[in-house]
This record gives sequence, C-alpha cells and structure tokens, in this order.
Amino acid sequence: MTAIAIDGVVKRYGAVAAVAGISLAVRDGEFFTLLGPSGCGKTTLLRMVAGFADLDAGAIRFGERRIDTLPPHRRNTGMVFQNYAIFPNLTVAGNVAYGLKARGIEREAMAGRVERALKLVHLEGYDQRWPHQLSGGQLQRVAIARALVIEPEVLLLDEPLSNLDAKLRVEMRGEIRQLQQQLGITAIYVTHDQEEALAISDRIAVMRAGALEQVGPPAEIYSRPATPFVAEFMGTTNLLTGTVTGVAGERHRIAVGGLELVAHGSAHSAGSRVTFSLRPETLRLLLPGEALPPGWARFEAVVGRVELLGALTRIELVAAGDVALRLAMLDLPPEPVAPGRRVALAYDPARVTLFATP
Amino acid sequence: MIALRSRSIFPLTVAALAFLFLGLFLLYPVYSVFHVSFLDQAGGFTLDNYVRILGRSFYQQSLWNSLTIGALATIATTAIGVPLAFCLARLPVPGKSAILVLAALPLVLPSFVGAYALVLLFGRAGIVTQFLRDAGLPVGSIYGTPGLVWVYTLTLYPYVLLPTLAAFKAVDVSIEEAGQNLGASRWRVFRTVILPVVIPSVLSGALLVFMETLENFGVPFVLAEDKPILAVEAYKLFVGEVSANSASAGVLATLLIVCTTSALLLQRYYLGRRRFATGARSAPPELQVGRGWRALATVFVWGVALAALIPFFTVLVIAFMEYRGPVLHPHLSLGNFADLLHRSSRPLVTTITLATAAALGAAILGVPIGYVLTWFRSGVSHLLDILAMMPFAVAGTVLGIGLVVAYNSGPLVLTGTPVIMVLAYMVRKLPFNVRASSAILHQIDPSLEEASINLGVSPARTFIKLTVPLMLGGIVGGMVLTWVTIASELSSTVILYSPAWATMTVVMFEALEGTGAGIAAAAAAVLILATALPLLLVYRLLRRHELALM
Repeated sequence: MTAIAIDGVVKRYGAVAAVAGISLAVRDGEFFTLLGPSGCGKTTLLRMVAGFADLDAGAIRFGERRIDTLPPHRRNTGMVFQNYAIFPNLTVAGNVAYGLKARGIEREAMAGRVERALKLVHLEGYDQRWPHQLSGGQLQRVAIARALVIEPEVLLLDEPLSNLDAKLRVEMRGEIRQLQQQLGITAIYVTHDQEEALAISDRIAVMRAGALEQVGPPAEIYSRPATPFVAEFMGTTNLLTGTVTGVAGERHRIAVGGLELVAHGSAHSAGSRVTFSLRPETLRLLLPGEALPPGWARFEAVVGRVELLGALTRIELVAAGDVALRLAMLDLPPEPVAPGRRVALAYDPARVTLFATP
Repeated sequence: MIALRSRSIFPLTVAALAFLFLGLFLLYPVYSVFHVSFLDQAGGFTLDNYVRILGRSFYQQSLWNSLTIGALATIATTAIGVPLAFCLARLPVPGKSAILVLAALPLVLPSFVGAYALVLLFGRAGIVTQFLRDAGLPVGSIYGTPGLVWVYTLTLYPYVLLPTLAAFKAVDVSIEEAGQNLGASRWRVFRTVILPVVIPSVLSGALLVFMETLENFGVPFVLAEDKPILAVEAYKLFVGEVSANSASAGVLATLLIVCTTSALLLQRYYLGRRRFATGARSAPPELQVGRGWRALATVFVWGVALAALIPFFTVLVIAFMEYRGPVLHPHLSLGNFADLLHRSSRPLVTTITLATAAALGAAILGVPIGYVLTWFRSGVSHLLDILAMMPFAVAGTVLGIGLVVAYNSGPLVLTGTPVIMVLAYMVRKLPFNVRASSAILHQIDPSLEEASINLGVSPARTFIKLTVPLMLGGIVGGMVLTWVTIASELSSTVILYSPAWATMTVVMFEALEGTGAGIAAAAAAVLILATALPLLLVYRLLRRHELALM
C-alpha cells in the first residue's frame, strides 16, 4: 500500500521545539510505533502526518506523493483518537458512514461497506445504537471501524487504548494488531506504554524531547538499547556506572563501587567512566553446587526485600556493601532466598548493554 | 454513601417545604385562574367566558399577535445570537471579555426602559423623528410589530448567545479533527457535526426568548399601541377600566399558560431525545482567518453589543435634560430627578426592600432544592425538578392575577400587602435560584461531603458547616442577580401593587401613561444605576462560579 517518508520535520511552539528535525521511513504495511514519555513530541509528530499540526520545516510523503501541503481532509488517513471523538449526534452507522458520505459514495455501496466495517470490529447489530449507549470498548471499536471504512492509505492511532481498563487494553491491542495484519495497512501508533509498544509493533521509534532516541524492532530496542534513556524507559533495569579496569577484546572489567563486573561492548579504554544496563531477568541465582555456565560472570550479594507477584518474583539485592541491584525470576524463589541471606549470582556478559558514551 | 444519604430525612424535608410553598403560591393561584375562568356571574360552571372571549376577533388577534411577534423575535435573536456566539468562540475578536460583560447587561436591565428609549428617540414625538421630520424626511412608525421585535431582539439576544457560546466551546477539538480526517471539509464538519451538537443549546435559548416575549408586559404596553397583545389585554381586563372582569381575564391568562407550557414541553421533549455529551478536554482553537473576516467579525460583535445598550445610555442622558411638559429641551438639568424625588423617595425604598426580601427568600428556598436535585436521585427529586421549573411556564401577569384571586378573601388575605409581591417574586425567581445552586454544586467534589460525613458529622450539619461555605460566593452572586431582576420586574408587580407599595417600575409605568416623560427617564436612570452597579461589583464572583443569567 503506502510507505511513509518523514523528512527532517520540525515543529516549534514558541522557543520550544516539540519536534526537532525528525526523519523516519515507515515501510509499506508496517506497524510502526512512536513511543516516549508525555511531552516527547510523539503525538505532535502523528498530528503532523494527519495534518493537524503544521510543519515549520521538512516534508512528509506517502509513497512519492508529498502530503504535508494538503489540508487534513484531503490526506486520506484514518485516525483513531485518544478519546475516540465519536460524533454524539450520529448513530453508530452514521459515524461509520460519515467519511463515506464526505466522499460521495453511493447509498447502496455505503450500506454494505458500513456493515462490513462493523463486522470487522465485531459490532454487528449495533448500527442503530447511539454513542451514549455504548461502553468505552465499543466506542473504541466504532472509532476503528470509522477510520478503516474509508480505506485510508495509512492508519493513525493516538494512544487509542489509554482510556480502557487493563484487561480490555490487552484484548483490544491484539485485535488492532490482527486487523492491521489482515488488511496489510501501514499504521503509525502512538503510546507511552512500553509493554504495549513491544507487544504490537513491527518497529518502534523511542522519542525523547522532540528527537529520536532509537529506531528498531521490539527485540532490539529491548535487548540492545542505544542509550541509558531507552534502557530505563523500556522496562526496569539496573543502570550502573563504573570505571573500566581492564579490556580484553570486547570484554570489559568494570569496577562499580567495591564490586567488579564484566560487560561486553564496543571498546572503552581502561580508566574511563562507563554506564551499562543489566536487566533484572538477566541475573540468575546460582544454587549451592550449581556450576557456572562457560563465559558467565559470578558475584555475591545479600538479599533485601522479596516481592512475590505470582508468576514473577522480584528480589532486591545489595552487593559489595553499597551496590543496589534488582533481580527478576519466573516462579517462586528457591529455599535459600530470604532477607539477609547471602546468595551467589551469575549472568552472561554478552547480555549486558555497555553504552558508547558515559 | 449514596444509599445512606437518600435515606436521610434532609431531602424529604426540603421536598415537603418546596411542595408546600409552591402548592400555596404557584399551583393554587394558577388553579384559581382556571377556576374563575369557568364561573358565571352566579358562581356556577360555564363555558360562556371562553365562547365570548374567543369569539371576539379582537382577542383572537391578541393571541395571533403574541405568537407571531414572539416567533419573529425568536428567529431574529437566533439569527443574531448564533453567529455572535461563533465569532466569540472561534474567531480572533478583540475585547472578548469586555463583550461578555456588555452582552450580559440587557438581560438584567429593565426591557421596557429599552422600549421607552426607543419611543423617546423614534416615537411620534421622538428626538430623532422630529429631527428627521424637520429635515424633510418621512419616518415610518416604530409602534406595533417592528418596534416590539426590535426591542425584544436587542434585549433578549443574550439568551441565545450565552448557551450557544458555551456549547461551541464544549465541542472537543478532536471531534472536529475526526471529521476532517475522514475527508470532510471544514464547512462540511461544521454543518454535519458542530451545528447539530450545538442546536439543542440554541433551541433552549430560543425557547427562553419565546416565553419571555409571551409573558412580557412592559414592552408591549409601551410600544404596541392599538395592537392587542395577550399579556396586556389580560391585565386590562383584570384591572378593568370600566369594570373589572376576572372571569374574562382568567380566559386570557389560561390561553397564555397553554402557550408557554406547550413551548416548555416541546423543548423538553426535543432535548430529552437529543442530549449530546461531548465533555471537551480541550476547547477548539481560534480559527486562522484573513484580516477582512476578522474586521467583519469585530464590527458585528461590537455593533450588536453596543446597539443593545444604546437605549439605556439614551435614557441616562435624557434623564439629565430639561423637560417642559412633554417637550425636551437640550439643556443639562437635574430637574427630572428633583421632580421624581419631590413626589416621593418611597418607591426607591420599596423597590430595594422588597427585592432584598425576595432575593433572600428565593435563595433560602432555592439553594436546598438545588442541593437535593444535584446530589439525590429519587422519584421525589424528579417531581421536585418538574415543580421547581414550573414558574417558568407561568407569565408574571398570570401569576399576579392568580395570587389576587386566591388571596383576596378566605382564611389568608394577602391582596394589597407587600407580602404578596415578595411571594410572587420568590416564585418567579425560584427556577433561576435552583439552577444556579445546582451549577455551583456541580463544581464541588461530592467526596468532600462524604469525607465530612465519614468523620462523623451529620449530613445536615455537613451541609451547613461545609457545603454552604463552599457555595457562599456563588450564592451571593446568584442573589445579586435575583435582586437585580426583581428590581426591574413589572409584569406581576403591575397587578399586585397597592399605591403605598408602588415600586420604581410602577412609577415609570404611571409616568409613561401620563405625560411625565422626564420623570420616567429619571426613574429609569435610577433603576439602571441601581441594577448595573451591584452587577459590576459582583462580576468577578459570578465569573468564578460560572453563573449565567438564566
């Protein structure tokens, strides 16, 4: 269908650049997510694609066609709004038919398309309902049907799930992903929820203060964060800073307080300060008598608080007197783990992310 | 918590008191009007009164005139009010907050002063008329329909403007964007979404205009001349220049109730089927328009707001000019005020006393009712809601006639006392007070009260110790608005007053009937100042509590 090329776009509000020169290429049929904390410019960027925010510089193209000079109603994008923006004066069918009417589609063809769109979002039989009679989840489905029925070139979703409860959110994100795959439509999705972004996307762009921090597939963003910001934003991590004490190829020995750890990464010289990320689930408890896997590093720590979350257990640890660490493991912890006990820990240095800049 | 509250004795007590008050001073008087319209000379049941009155083309004409003038005024106020609201909501017009202050004024300034000013300027002996006639230009008559529609439009347009403005601002910006995103142009989105969402508010304002024109007494009295108007003819029949005829007056009053009630029911029915909750998170932004459009909008907005106030300025100026008999002389003079005060300063004292008493009474009654309606949901509160809005449908003239008929004999005789006037004002201003206190309460988080009750303070004590202080600013603002509108009330006053208790409006009314144009202007000036000053003083209070004038 349509690839989207965003080329050096800038949006300033007074002295503040909400979007500070971003270039992106969204591939045809891709589910692309803009992820970041509030105020990072992700919604502004989406609204620039939809035409609700003007560009101060740069260009946006759908395929070869430049669209940022078109008025919003001529861009043929289907947008799903955060608060759904369902027209309160129209029925469900009226809402879905709205864009078709604006396009002058014939009556008979329109009825069929509205019906198919409602079927697509599992709202058969709701066509004559009024918006105030629907639940949040149903309104969401109407909003999606309304955006899809016009067969837009791209689908734009602005935090569409943030008003739903947790369970429905998980259900709906699965449905949105499935619909997008089924139709093969190019989609840009805005969210501040990293879990949602990981679950749903082909690729993610992590944004911060109006600029791109990292662009890549979910697995890469999570396991190979480009910056400490991305590492922290994508779930919990142990973000540690220390001094390099020895380098052997990509293997660095790093002193953090009184603790010596090992991390793989691009070359840093001995004596330099470095920051690295050690995900809690990368750390493993080493039971007494258990052998250390080849190439892994080992150290000891004292157990602090133990938090049982059902399927998951989180353990807070203190190593070398003052280095606080978090560990996460599936299932319940084995016998020796109790507050105050000394335990052995192991990890694969290849799974540690050593950042290029301190 | 809710269950606990609904079981408490408080809402039932409030409801019982409200039913008692409105039963005695609204329902019973209205029933009396019905009753008397079906009585013959001997006190037996008859339909003769209806046959006689409705058979006369003069009275048929009065019904027709009232309805057509009302309809024309409603169309005109809507045609002005809706574009005005759009300009204020969405276009870059300078001085918006000043406009909003000015636009609220015509609603509380006495409308028949506006009518009178029109007569002073464009009437048969009007200043402008004479000037034009001297210059050899023919002048059309402003008496009758054109003058009435003109005055109604300029004094009542805020009824359409204010709710429509609020509605335009309540349409969330994303609704508009969704429309454009689906391929509709700005104009198409406006036509297919914004306008339908705003229309219920437009209609509720338009309906207020229609009811106001039906019940208004002072404006047609000044401007209608030979044209029969329902509210005026009911008064004339009741007061009776030859002999008072309460049965015939009752027939016209019943007709008036039928008209106003149908309008009210029609609106309720229509609004009941279309209530659009949009809940704006972010109000739509101002539109980027060219300099031409901007200039046009500015001229339009300021033009209307100022045109509506010109009559009142005119009266203020004329009041300070010299009158010799009916003839105006262009010298500054305080003679009119001297004449006014020489007669008596008592009407001013009466106006202030009665308005204060009634404003207090209406607040004491209206605030608890508003409280019960906002926070208790039950069958009783539903009934109370309907009852508390009923005074809307009863024209002042009709209520006045009803009160006189009901209380001029029997165990409770009130006719001719100031008490009956205060009661009439309280009944008439109750809907406003109830709505205002509901509006204020909606801004107070109910969990505050729940916290207080949870901490062991009884619901009634919580209301007095916590809720009332929180509402106080709003209540005071509402009382000032009530006070101001009562001070310029004429339609029930003209029926209920006795000579010892004549108000400022009555003085003007009598001066207009005679030849005391100067005295009337001075009285009007005093009234305008007495209403405008307190309004300006509490303006900030009103803004903070988002109190509208309806």
